[in-house]
Amino acid sequence: MNNFRYFPNSKKDIAKLYRFLGIKDKKELFKKILGDIPLISDGDLSDILNDGIDENALWRIFSDIDGAIPSKNKTAVFSGGGIYNHFVPSVIDSLISRSEFYTPYTPYQPEVSQGTLFALFEFQSFIAEILGMDVVNASMYDGAESLAEAVLAALRLSSANRDIPANHSDDAVFVSEGVNPNYYSVIKTFTGGTGVKIEKIKLNAETGRTEISELKLKLSNGSGRVPAVVIQQPNYYGVIEDLESLEKIIHSAYDDSEHTPSFIVSSTEPYSFGIINPPGFYGADIFAGEGNSFGNYMNFGGPLLGLFAAKKEYVRQMPGRIVGKTKDGNNRDAYAFILSTREQHIRRGAATSNICTNSSLNAVRAAIYLSLCAKSGFKDIALLNLKLAHILRDELLKTGLFEPLYGGDFFNEFSLKFKANKNEHNKKLDNKKTASEFIEKMAARDIVAGIALSENAVLISATENIRLSDIEKYVKNAKEVLNG
Amino acid sequence: MAKFPGIKGIFFDEDPLIEQSSKGVNGIGIPDCGLKKSDLRKDESAYIDSKYIRKNPPGLPEVSEPTVVRHFTRLSGWNMCVDTVFYPLGSCTMKYNPKINEKIASLENIKNLHPLTPANLIQPVLKIVYDFNNILCGLTGLAEFSFAPQAGAAGEFAGLKVIKKYFELKGENRKTILVPDSSHGTNPASSVLAGFTPVEIKTGKAGTLNAEELKKFISKDVAGIMITNPNTFGVFEKDIKKIAEIMHKNGSFVYMDGANFNAFLGNVKVSDMGIDLIQLNLHKTFSTPHGGGGPGSGALGIVESLREFLPIPYVKKTAADKNNGKNTSNYDKDFNAENQVYELSEDRKNSIGKMTPFLCNFAVLIRAYAYLLSLGRDNVGSVSEIAVLNANYVKKKLDEILSGSDPFEEGLCMHECVFSDKAIEEGGISTIELAKLLIDYGFHPPTVYFPKNIHGAIMIEPTETESIRTLDNFIKAVKEIKLKTKKSRAAKSPQKTKVGRVNEVLANKRPVFKS
Repeated sequence: MNNFRYFPNSKKDIAKLYRFLGIKDKKELFKKILGDIPLISDGDLSDILNDGIDENALWRIFSDIDGAIPSKNKTAVFSGGGIYNHFVPSVIDSLISRSEFYTPYTPYQPEVSQGTLFALFEFQSFIAEILGMDVVNASMYDGAESLAEAVLAALRLSSANRDIPANHSDDAVFVSEGVNPNYYSVIKTFTGGTGVKIEKIKLNAETGRTEISELKLKLSNGSGRVPAVVIQQPNYYGVIEDLESLEKIIHSAYDDSEHTPSFIVSSTEPYSFGIINPPGFYGADIFAGEGNSFGNYMNFGGPLLGLFAAKKEYVRQMPGRIVGKTKDGNNRDAYAFILSTREQHIRRGAATSNICTNSSLNAVRAAIYLSLCAKSGFKDIALLNLKLAHILRDELLKTGLFEPLYGGDFFNEFSLKFKANKNEHNKKLDNKKTASEFIEKMAARDIVAGIALSENAVLISATENIRLSDIEKYVKNAKEVLNG
Repeated sequence: MAKFPGIKGIFFDEDPLIEQSSKGVNGIGIPDCGLKKSDLRKDESAYIDSKYIRKNPPGLPEVSEPTVVRHFTRLSGWNMCVDTVFYPLGSCTMKYNPKINEKIASLENIKNLHPLTPANLIQPVLKIVYDFNNILCGLTGLAEFSFAPQAGAAGEFAGLKVIKKYFELKGENRKTILVPDSSHGTNPASSVLAGFTPVEIKTGKAGTLNAEELKKFISKDVAGIMITNPNTFGVFEKDIKKIAEIMHKNGSFVYMDGANFNAFLGNVKVSDMGIDLIQLNLHKTFSTPHGGGGPGSGALGIVESLREFLPIPYVKKTAADKNNGKNTSNYDKDFNAENQVYELSEDRKNSIGKMTPFLCNFAVLIRAYAYLLSLGRDNVGSVSEIAVLNANYVKKKLDEILSGSDPFEEGLCMHECVFSDKAIEEGGISTIELAKLLIDYGFHPPTVYFPKNIHGAIMIEPTETESIRTLDNFIKAVKEIKLKTKKSRAAKSPQKTKVGRVNEVLANKRPVFKS
């Protein structure tokens, strides 16, 4: 009998190992270790697994699956909502397929991990430039988890003793309704243990920007403290927030600087910072968002790339790994993880976070991507996103079937309402589920048309992966689906 | 006898890309997307208010495609990895990452799939998640898995939140999670994050937990215990069933840190040890590459009584029988309705909530699923069998060299073995020096100085994807280091790497975060 192809030991080798240990067989081996814990018998797994298969048979299974889902080449993707359909240059796949990048562990031994550490250092540098922030870490899991950890960091910053988990049941964190609802849910999951209240701030019904008067009122009315205010840029509905005005209100809310809330800015689309001013220009204390747009595929939603950045005075409260530049014994440049005393493997229960494994490889992909884009390409591609989204929205509004949900400026994503149709007999969609039905019908025509925001509103995005002909196809099919 | 791999490769020096910039150069083609000339000419001020517009673009490097390719290719040469060296990093299960799984995860339509594509178009993808869940249930004896946790620590956090929610619903406010002092640092960190107070229990000589010792800590405040099995010494917790019994009698849960599940895969169901929750690190036991630090996946499995608390969303199987209404039965063996459809559901009223914006780290999951299909039921049990044999071979062989250093000398270890620095210290070499010396022989060092409660710990996990020949070679290197190395050379090692010993004190004293 042959060995299985991933096991270098032959059957003879395995027999040799048993002889060396003075053990007869597998049964005896596990019996000696486990005592009376039963072993899985050969028949036990027959309900869940077939016999093993060769590579060719395995490939057929998965290439059949790939053939049975929407084809990348035929389908135009206009859905965003936290993950965007950007182009990925083949250089990235080629470089990342080098085993030296994808098969090591976390760089605990810096002398044999300089490649990953150097690439992560460049990642941190590039992201810091894009965000206008001081310190960027070497990645979190995804934007939502990163944002939740940012709120936890703000809670620590608001506590007298930052090392001891405080009770925050008198405190409230204000989260704009413009924050992605999934991010909002993840914040709730992570802050559950602290007692802090999470309160929403409404959007202005016309512009779609966070309602400044409500924020002001809430900041002056509350009895407890406000460790943080969270704003997303551009927000979930695609609208560009006025960070300048928000920052002034947040940072001047209280005379007492100790009680000044942390201004946390999130983003699911930092590509926007190729065109609009980044959070660092407006005094954001912490940035926490998604970096998947930089050189990573959508991968059905994961893995993603959590970005975390802060002002340098808050570095000791940052979660996750940070790469620093240093020297070796011969005064050559070298890189290593720094400030590890924040982390779980040293601080255990008193760590700033429990995170260990992160999204390192996705971060290296982003570093490669941003290198390729370079200064000019990053701006040019961001500008294309801006144009395509505006052209698409203009064309859809021209049909008379839609109206804007909000009027505020936007980058590459926007929200539309279905216009109330007075001519009932002309209406092709069920009133109760217009948006979801519209999306389903468009999908049957090879258009992933957007995300349902409610029964009568959709969220639509356009990236540089979209062509004018896709926009024309979208408009033509939308007319047919809605009007007949 | 096999040669030492050593390091005789070719290293290139390389400047940061920002220093290689030349004004106006980039490495990406800018498409026109079919836009009209008039639109192409417009700038951003035609679309948005000028007060938002960024005046100076971010200072990214200005380099071409070949420059980028050479840069990162050179950098890659400075890494050791599983494909180039034996990588016996304890507790990390650095096994071979099958190449076909990379190819599968890179299938064009799968990797470009938007997570909110209508479910009726992506049935086979949802089925993968569902079927993989079933397989993990079969391998562990548990009721259901959630793939929301993005890595091991996230799995721990999710599991503890589940326990928290369970007690909240019962109207009990239990605050304590027991954690053996030999546990991974993530265990107490996750406990705090979930709103518990971790209480450390002293463990015995081989890091094992004694049932009698545990009893001293039992009270109605104890919500559960986090136990690593085999523990961080690679030793099976032989009291596990007694421990589970004590916990269950107290109405508390047993959470198993599944980082070391490679010791059991295909041979032992954790349900037979009384485990209630476990996270499985797909990037360890299930062969998905670790990516130089991530991404991973920390699938959380639970017993039946905790199902309602799992994160949302999840993949649900439904019988699309319109006459009888929807008949749902997730992960039931005998569920066999016709016209089954899979859907993403948020219908779980006591869920702990969301952990991630979408469903899961799908690209990790699909590799792990392909791995299990390749192995099949006839080979899956060989994984832990050979992993345990290899570890015991190293343990017994090294015991001859490092005599007196094995805290568990008499017994069999599971998938990894641990030594103290006793024997090498006698020869004047410290654990960190042994680690750095091994590098020059062409081996990645083992995990060092963990677990903390063993002096100068050296933790070796060979995995099942290494041959006896490789193990012998590694053992021979340890022997040579112990017998022949001079103290002066030890302090200066490694010498054959891109950089020598990195000054971590300086790195922390005057931190430089970016270029």
